[in-house]
Amino acid sequence: MFRTEMMDINMGPQHPSTHGVLRLKLLLDGETVTDTDVLIGYLHRGVEKLCESKNYHMIEPYTDRLDYVAAMYENLGYVETVEKLMGITVPERAEYIRVITAELQRIASHLVWLGTHALDIGAMTVFFYCFREREILLDLFEAFCGARLTYNAYRIGGLPWDVPPGWTDRVRHFVKIFPGRQQEYDTLLTKNRIWLGRTKGVGILKAGDAIDFGVSGPCLRAAGVSYDVRKAHPYSVYDRFLFDIPTGENCDTYDRYLVRMEEMRQSLRIVQQALDGLPAGEVMGKVPKRIKPPVGEVYHTVEGPRGELGFYIVSQGEDKPYRMRFRSPSFVNLQALPHMVKGSLVADVVAVIGTLDIVLGDVDR
Amino acid sequence: MKIQAFLQKVLLLELWQGMWVTLKNQFRPHITVEYPKETVEFPPRFRGVPRLRKDPQTGEELCVSCLLCEAICPTECISIVSEKRPDGKGKQLISFTINYERCCFCGLCVDPCPTKPITAIYMSHDYEFAGFDRDSYVTAREELVDGKPVKIYTS
Amino acid sequence: MISDNIIRNFIIPLTQVLVILGVASGAVAYMTLVERKILAFMQLRLSPRRVGPHGLLQPIADGIKLLLKEDITPDKADRILFTLAPIVTVIPAFTALAVIPFSGGGTFQIFGYQVTPWIADVNVGLVFLLAISSLGIYGIMLGGWASNSKYPMLGALRSAAQMVSYEVPFGFSIIGVMMLSGTASMVGIVEAQREAHVWYFLPQIFGLFVFFVSGVAETNRLPFDLPEAEAELVAGFHTEYTGMKFALYMLAEYTSMIVVASIVTTLFFGGWLRPFPNVEALGFLNLGLDRIHPVLPGYFWFLLKTFLVLFVYLWLRGTFPRYRYDQLMRLGWYWMIPLSIMNVIVTGGVVLLLRR
Ligand code: SF4
Ligand code: SF4
Repeated sequence: MFRTEMMDINMGPQHPSTHGVLRLKLLLDGETVTDTDVLIGYLHRGVEKLCESKNYHMIEPYTDRLDYVAAMYENLGYVETVEKLMGITVPERAEYIRVITAELQRIASHLVWLGTHALDIGAMTVFFYCFREREILLDLFEAFCGARLTYNAYRIGGLPWDVPPGWTDRVRHFVKIFPGRQQEYDTLLTKNRIWLGRTKGVGILKAGDAIDFGVSGPCLRAAGVSYDVRKAHPYSVYDRFLFDIPTGENCDTYDRYLVRMEEMRQSLRIVQQALDGLPAGEVMGKVPKRIKPPVGEVYHTVEGPRGELGFYIVSQGEDKPYRMRFRSPSFVNLQALPHMVKGSLVADVVAVIGTLDIVLGDVDR
Repeated sequence: MKIQAFLQKVLLLELWQGMWVTLKNQFRPHITVEYPKETVEFPPRFRGVPRLRKDPQTGEELCVSCLLCEAICPTECISIVSEKRPDGKGKQLISFTINYERCCFCGLCVDPCPTKPITAIYMSHDYEFAGFDRDSYVTAREELVDGKPVKIYTS
Repeated sequence: MISDNIIRNFIIPLTQVLVILGVASGAVAYMTLVERKILAFMQLRLSPRRVGPHGLLQPIADGIKLLLKEDITPDKADRILFTLAPIVTVIPAFTALAVIPFSGGGTFQIFGYQVTPWIADVNVGLVFLLAISSLGIYGIMLGGWASNSKYPMLGALRSAAQMVSYEVPFGFSIIGVMMLSGTASMVGIVEAQREAHVWYFLPQIFGLFVFFVSGVAETNRLPFDLPEAEAELVAGFHTEYTGMKFALYMLAEYTSMIVVASIVTTLFFGGWLRPFPNVEALGFLNLGLDRIHPVLPGYFWFLLKTFLVLFVYLWLRGTFPRYRYDQLMRLGWYWMIPLSIMNVIVTGGVVLLLRR
């Protein structure tokens, strides 16, 4: 009597909540998602190929443009990889400042995630409160390196500048006020029944699946796997700080929310410790004028806000890399999306995109 | 504990708390500025477009045409033409152009400039650059020194 | 000459209608500005401030912009229904204003004719309101269907389900008020509150809660704005609309908001009455307006209360996330409807006992 049919629907590349130019092809049965096709590549700029024609100094601004929400981590990962390849030691003070800026960047990045995630679910005010605090952080970055988004803040072998006068006091001030501000987001969301309803049991990604998909970062930790590059393969001076790795147990969107909220608190702890232990001294190590790494290859990872961020460089002894490869966490995490949204409603797709915290610049490169 | 949880559920307590937060924030000062009328203050290190400068004391050209900035620029937007000085010592500029259209504000060009401590090329605080045609972004030496005229759109 | 009869039965009501339509449209236009201002303050931003002092002319600028915009009808759309849909939405929204008593306690004397502050005092006013308010959904469904596009259709389907299920508690929740006042006339209900010495929000607190929540759901506002959930469905049923037709949808949405707020004011907060209307000593609260004309303080109180209710609307929008479609349905059928029925039974029982 009635004829029913599935409906194909295109979500993106122009859609308010696909966080850029992600395109999903959903096959809907009513409002239930039965199949998802993730189509990427709308922001592909060929950075990896581009890097082969640039010398090692020139590449850093390009890494800024990968994960533009957390550019400090791209910078950090890149310079550390080159340093590892060449065996350069970085002065203590530079390492500490790198840790401080990177952890502040993690908070800033998580704030963008929280704001947009809440906005997708409809809580628009949280977005503005998050950006209020992010603004303080961006001001700090701006005072430190002169830019608010694409920092280009580190150099191979150290930092181009020491921190400006009064900067550490401003960071201390932020460390002091931030817990109160975070309390506000907590009040607005954590126990709110609508928020609970929208996130609990949504987008479940079990530990086994997460590992199979190669998912890393908060999405993996919310599944109960306590894996964090900062602890597993400590880089920089992370082995000197005390911090916990928050994990979840229900593998759902709500747990990922809690994990990221807790990560912000832990980052604050690291920043506090690094500020207290900040040594005096130089910020630039001994680096040859022309960077010409020896023949060889190197892989190095850092724990970005989105997960394990890897850099792979093949050097043939020239001043340009022979091959450059980024392991971008957003790209890998995105693979899990069709698995996570199968059988859920359209509204959940939006929540899952938000909880994966992808940045399209990082996905498409 | 159970009673408390029950009451919380029935009286919608957490919803009221949330509403209290937004109400409270209504009386905080706003954090945005009305842009063209007011502008935010920049820290000294702010990276606007790169510009050239002369020696502030003597008014002489600082740039020694060493081409290091041209070499390091990742977007290849600097182009310098120079010639031998008549007295045979070093080189002097014929033209120095930066294509602002391609500049990515990375600040790398300032790093190698040899005229320390006052570098000939520096990151200025100019940022208002909206324009209608691409050619106007190719900026020659005079404008690099004096600054590009900025159109003010505020009434 | 025009007979007395024509003036009384035709010209006066027509003038009233025109005046109230004009005022309501103006109020709707400024409602958008107020919404943006209040949301901006909650979110620590600046509100629209460019057009006129403090952005006061912004609604006019918006209106002109919408008028001048290109009016696009999608190729595959059903042209007739596509044009008709916004009109079908906007008419019931405005019609509902007919029975709302904006003030009371007297009449104006204009050229010797008695003019009431409301357009009509129908003895089934409440029922009329219910009937009219459920008509608005046709426009939304038609619009979503006629666009012949996928997102609008999803939005229309959602809104059909949502409005139909919230219509039930919406209706049930006001039965308590009717039982307390013994009338369905809006003016009668306000008068009954004066006689009862108490506004009905106290005895009818559950009724108020259910009515308000369903009212928010009926008008598609956050946290129940699923038909136009911009994060999921782009803009829901009006995705394909531009220019004037889009403006009509917005007009209808804001008018319904104002209507629901006025109903809440009338039914639960004593309409045009000032606080403690029977206590002479509090007469100063009227700010001396009653000395100019006995009807004026009524307007003042009515507007004030309606604005406060509207503020709560905006406040909700500024605070809460959006429900999911199935959760919304569950809330409606599992919580709102039983609660409203319980409210009816308890109120009925108490009224019965008190009458004895
Ligand atoms: S700021 Fe960067 S892109 Fe611009 S001219 Fe200097 S080096 Fe080139
Ligand atoms: S690096 Fe400095 S001195 Fe050398 S060409 Fe560029 S601006 Fe001139």
